[in-house]
Amino acid sequence: MDFNTFFFGGLALISFAVFFYLGKFKASKAQTERDDRVDWSKRALSFKSFLIIALGVLVIFFLLS
Amino acid sequence: MSKHQALDTFGRSGNPVFGSKFDGDPQFKDLPASQKMTLDGTVNKTGILLLLCFITAAVSWNNPNPVLMYTGLGVGFIIALVTSFKPTVAPTTAPIYALAEGLFLGGITVMFEAAYPGIAIQAIGLTFGTLASLLVCYKTGIIKPTENFRLMIVSATAGIALLYIVNMFMTMVGGGSGIGFIHSNGLMGIGFSLFVVGIAALNLVLDFDFIEQGAEDGLPKHMEWFGAFSLMVTLVWLYLEILRLLAKLRRG
Repeated sequence: MDFNTFFFGGLALISFAVFFYLGKFKASKAQTERDDRVDWSKRALSFKSFLIIALGVLVIFFLLS
Repeated sequence: MSKHQALDTFGRSGNPVFGSKFDGDPQFKDLPASQKMTLDGTVNKTGILLLLCFITAAVSWNNPNPVLMYTGLGVGFIIALVTSFKPTVAPTTAPIYALAEGLFLGGITVMFEAAYPGIAIQAIGLTFGTLASLLVCYKTGIIKPTENFRLMIVSATAGIALLYIVNMFMTMVGGGSGIGFIHSNGLMGIGFSLFVVGIAALNLVLDFDFIEQGAEDGLPKHMEWFGAFSLMVTLVWLYLEILRLLAKLRRG
């Protein structure tokens, strides 16, 4: 086993363990007890704003290229 | 009504996959505890989906076949659309999505691995490393998703999606390589890939927040599959982008 496989394979295994262990716990109070949490009952954007911003990002990329 | 309770009228999220309607579901507040969404259940279901994805990826890896690969891509895309619009079918469609994406990922990974030996394990390690580190950041409150955060990620994701669609159209119509910088291994190409990897990674934070709030509010059990499915969609995207970024760096 070369170093590349050992390092990145190990990273994947450790990350799996962290995800399956930590994922089952509730987030800290710093995360859950605040007033500016995302309100999932609302859309992030109206369809019109969504389209305008998406086109804006697209134009920026074209100009940069 | 607090922001947590706002999930009663569950509707839309920043993650494209979470753009699903939750309207019309039964009164989930009255559901017994055994029929409510939990963090434990969502994590376990994510594990099942990852396992299914690995199994078909191994099949595709050992028998690389473009037909198998593109069938997986097409089926995965259709299933993702169906699941996004109808989360109640997630317990059935999410495993099919994972199996289909595995076929595609196994095939494409073989192609990259043949060109750049060792790239597959690097991409896998970095993808799951990103997942774990962002989960730690989310759980501890280092990264706090807000409405502005969601707006930024949604806009950037939409822009990238539109760019890819235009690129695909240009490739099909013009027959060339589409928008040059997307594929270039120059500074612009690598910068673009880094940006896309960053946005894909930050979509994970939105996934975590959706799952966390869904479990807090006791959404119906099928939302565990939906949460796991959305994580899978983001992980597949992140993996592919990391693979492309690493390939560009190697070429450079």
